[in-house]
Amino acid sequence: MITDSFHRFKLLAVLLMLVVLLAACVQSSSNDSETTTEDGKPIINIGRQTGSNPKLPEGDTFEDNAYTRAAEDVLDIEIRNAFEAEGEDYDRQVALAISSGDLPDMMIVSQEELKDLVDNDLIEDLTDVYEENASDYIKEIYAGYDNKPLEDATFDGSLMAIPGTDSLAAPQMTWIRADWLEELDLSIDEDGDRLITLDELEEVAKAFLENDPGDSGNPVGIPFENYLNAGGYGSFTMDSIAAVFEGQPKKYLIEEDGSITYGSTSEGTKQALEVMNDWFNEGIIDPQFGTRSFDDIMALLTNGQTGIATGAWHIPDWGLSNVREMDNNARFTAYALADDEGKVNVAEQKTTGGSFIVVKKGYGHPEKAVEMLNLFYDDIENTTEADMENTFPEVAEYLAQGVDDSTKPFNIVVLPMQTYLDDYQDVQAVLNEEMAVEEITNPQVRQNINGIKNYTENPEDVPTSNWSSYHSRIEGWGLMNKLTEEDRFNWIEAAYVGNTPTMEQRGSGLGSMEEEDFIKIITGAEPLDYFDDFVEKWHNQGGSEILKEIEEELAQ
Amino acid sequence: MAINNQGTTIRHRKKDVKKAKLTYHAMLAPGMIFLLIFSFTPMFGIIMAFQDFVPARGFFGSEFVGLQHFQYMFDLPDIARVFRNTIVIALGKIIFGSLLAIMFAILLNEIRLKLLKKSVQTIVYLPHFLSWVVLSTVVVNLFNLDGTVNQMIEFFGFEKINFLGSNTWFQPLLIGSDVWKEFGFNSVIYLAAIASVDPGLHEAASMDGANWWKRVWHITLPGMLPIILLLAILSLPSVLDGGFDQVYNLYSPIVYETGDTIDTYVYREGLVGRDYSFGAAVGLLKSIIGLTLILSANNAAKKFTERKLF
Amino acid sequence: MIEGNSFSSKFGKCIIYFIVISLGLVCLLPLWNIVAISFSSGAAVAANLVGLTPINFSTGAYEMIMEDAQFWRSFSISVQRVVLALVINLILIVLMAYPLSKTKREFKSRSIYMNIIIFAMLFSGGLIPTYIVIRNLNLLDTIWVLVLPGAVPIFSVILIMNFFVGVPKSLEEAAIIDGASPLQVLFKVYIPVSLPALATVALFSIVGNWNDFMSGLIYMSQVSNYPIMTYIQSLTIDISELVRAGTSNESLQNIAEVQNRNLNAAKIVVSTIPLLLIYPFLQKYFVTGIVVGSVKE
Repeated sequence: MITDSFHRFKLLAVLLMLVVLLAACVQSSSNDSETTTEDGKPIINIGRQTGSNPKLPEGDTFEDNAYTRAAEDVLDIEIRNAFEAEGEDYDRQVALAISSGDLPDMMIVSQEELKDLVDNDLIEDLTDVYEENASDYIKEIYAGYDNKPLEDATFDGSLMAIPGTDSLAAPQMTWIRADWLEELDLSIDEDGDRLITLDELEEVAKAFLENDPGDSGNPVGIPFENYLNAGGYGSFTMDSIAAVFEGQPKKYLIEEDGSITYGSTSEGTKQALEVMNDWFNEGIIDPQFGTRSFDDIMALLTNGQTGIATGAWHIPDWGLSNVREMDNNARFTAYALADDEGKVNVAEQKTTGGSFIVVKKGYGHPEKAVEMLNLFYDDIENTTEADMENTFPEVAEYLAQGVDDSTKPFNIVVLPMQTYLDDYQDVQAVLNEEMAVEEITNPQVRQNINGIKNYTENPEDVPTSNWSSYHSRIEGWGLMNKLTEEDRFNWIEAAYVGNTPTMEQRGSGLGSMEEEDFIKIITGAEPLDYFDDFVEKWHNQGGSEILKEIEEELAQ
Repeated sequence: MAINNQGTTIRHRKKDVKKAKLTYHAMLAPGMIFLLIFSFTPMFGIIMAFQDFVPARGFFGSEFVGLQHFQYMFDLPDIARVFRNTIVIALGKIIFGSLLAIMFAILLNEIRLKLLKKSVQTIVYLPHFLSWVVLSTVVVNLFNLDGTVNQMIEFFGFEKINFLGSNTWFQPLLIGSDVWKEFGFNSVIYLAAIASVDPGLHEAASMDGANWWKRVWHITLPGMLPIILLLAILSLPSVLDGGFDQVYNLYSPIVYETGDTIDTYVYREGLVGRDYSFGAAVGLLKSIIGLTLILSANNAAKKFTERKLF
Repeated sequence: MIEGNSFSSKFGKCIIYFIVISLGLVCLLPLWNIVAISFSSGAAVAANLVGLTPINFSTGAYEMIMEDAQFWRSFSISVQRVVLALVINLILIVLMAYPLSKTKREFKSRSIYMNIIIFAMLFSGGLIPTYIVIRNLNLLDTIWVLVLPGAVPIFSVILIMNFFVGVPKSLEEAAIIDGASPLQVLFKVYIPVSLPALATVALFSIVGNWNDFMSGLIYMSQVSNYPIMTYIQSLTIDISELVRAGTSNESLQNIAEVQNRNLNAAKIVVSTIPLLLIYPFLQKYFVTGIVVGSVKE
């Protein structure tokens, strides 16, 4: 018996020891109590949104690179990363940081997170530090958007975050293989206004299908993603086709009487679906539409199976570039689809783009956030080439090497409303030799213009990056500029909508239903009249409430 | 003398049994501590399923909503279809996956060429390591309208099939491609089970003139049976897992009707709503169903084989 | 095992070889495709032209990997992780499986433990609470966070427990009469006869730890601490989703550059090689045919 209890005791002792051992590990006094370095510089722990291919030179990291060093020098601070992640993973890290009560000093959050943080009094009021410290240039930028971004970050009269901007609403463009048009001797856009009609697009698609100018042996029609419309100007979506009929799918439109309607349920969207259904039946739309992924569609273009793509002005930079890699002679022209009156209908929302920088409640140096904003979106953006070499030699080097913006510790975009049109004017001025490259203040544009020059001089033998710069800037920006100059735009006011309560509950269900029903209508699985059923379902399953909630929000 | 001797061993044994019991507890202790810390402590988070969890408010500040999330789940218009799809897809994968793995293990065991055996074994277990992000492009290239499979179908004079966009073919495609990916890896466990069967039994049976089939049927399979049963039972909770990565990378709105599973559905919901609580509620429901299934299967196994598996 | 020279058994043998070889081929071809992709040029891959032979053969992708310091840092983190996890997992598995393999008469508390384990297998607190616990343990950004939360692989414990149940009682009794303690019985009797099963769970541990990318994503705050699969995962990005979310032109451009599927394929090939090397090593435990006696009771 004695030995028994002794053994039991021994066991208990072992167990206890283990627990103590573990408890020793548990001992969690937080280790980030430091707020200043030894030599008195304030430390900023930043929640860092990163990019996946920053092209950082050897030895540099997201925590320690040309941009962070520049900021540390100029602002006399030390930057540390509380966490680094990108995309969804970043969102998760933010949620984890918030729920464990361990906020970094500064971080980028979304509109919803901002609301939660404000509601729970976790972040610093920036009204005064912004007023006192923001440069005039920065204030002008926001003013260019009618101060809407600042309003989005203002709660009960207090500015609670620094908002990013979403520059210039733009039309979704239709990119068509120019070399094929020439090869087949097709003439569209005879008046040269870069506007085409649906009929012309149809004609081109048919000609490409019949003649297979890409020699692929298996030409397909116009490719589309299975989500047919995106919030922004997506690629391979139906937005530009619907815009012809003044349908603006996925947008919440502000009507003249102040009421809100949902673009996907509009008559215009229905008409667009009718056209697409006809096209699908005639084979003008990719017969495998609905199951193609983004990569599949890129493959169709790269293979020369199709030569038509709908997308943003910058799609040549990261998408169409593959086409030129495979076929050195490939060239694209960007067109805009116009309605019967020759107008291009575009939804416009003056918004924040959904990114906000917040400062943790109680952090000692909130003014550093605003100073950092000045540094990255005023000082560095407005430095000529010569000055850059002197003041920020490392940053100049980064720009020359194409190091990503995501290496900036403070990566929200704050750019003037008209930024691309202004940049286009600069590019044209340089090409017409009215201006020297050195005079351009935006360092990125300086980079592009050299590529564009190379391409125009010798289109066949230059690297694809030059081809891309030419296409996105001269073709893409050029189209935007032309449409602006000739007053072709018909702006339709859309509301920026975060997440209303019903949207949080029903939003994704409604979204899936929309995707599913639109595909069914186009592929003919359901007749066109099914659209009316969709509209009814959409309203009944929460859509009506969403519209009401948005109206209330806007009325405030 | 002999009797006396036996008496002491019994006494010794009794002591030993008690001592052994203590050792047993001690052996289990480290593992239990790990489970306590990393599995049980976080379970306070289950209350999230009954809250409207907002990270900024935390577990103590978030509002309690009772069973609202469960209510909401069952009110969703597509919920029946999503559950049905998940169960069909998961059951298909479990059943066909185990059958092929068992069959392959038995056949491979018959191969006498060492080099062939080793290389085949290594090759078939490789697909397990590739993520569906990578494999989905392979599957799409094989099965789309212009893919290899359709070229073969056309060659034999049949109509092309849009596997990825057909509500008839999408589920078989998911099941088939998953069985292909996993059978090699799953067969490892069955090979271990076969290796544990006494070769003496085979020799004896051969002497008795039993042919290969008979030996597989009467010796190999019964030898593997406990493991087969165990794996079948342990896989039961996964009848509510359609395999998120696979479905997510292969499906499209066209096949939501047959391809949308609980996980993909919750994922789409969560993306829009950042709905941690809803995810937690679905997870809790899945766990409860899984526990019920596994316990009742274990009891049933006890009834039929007179042996509890755990 | 098919013996004799009769026509039917030869025929049967042929069928078996045929089935096994074709299953092997069916698994090999898609992998071959990935290897071919890794040796092709980016554009050819984007155009979906690569089948079983590389197009525009290039070793560029592999050269890029050689120069990628983070890739090798992550690689070595993963190796450390796998070794640590393997040791911890195997010790805990056998220590737990042995007492649990006892009958109720031998070990009364067994069913309580069993219920606890089954419960822990099926229920989890979820992402956020687990993160909070791990953060309070100060384990974030350490190698332990990759190892300790998965220290007890319950599935493997149950599996080994079942193999132990099948070990003939006579072996154990003989050892006990020789005066062996339970630990000695475990190490001298049970483990030697369960090598195929232990090799299996060792394989599960290695493969599971090597392949897991989620814990790295959640618990590592710096990219420099990512294990290999987390690193690879962080580079595979759904461009389509980014486009849909309205990502900036500059980031898209840089992301598109690493989206070269040939580079990703090369990374997959390189990161799979260690697993290829380990398997044949473990294989010998499956074929030695240790005499265990029937699992049947």
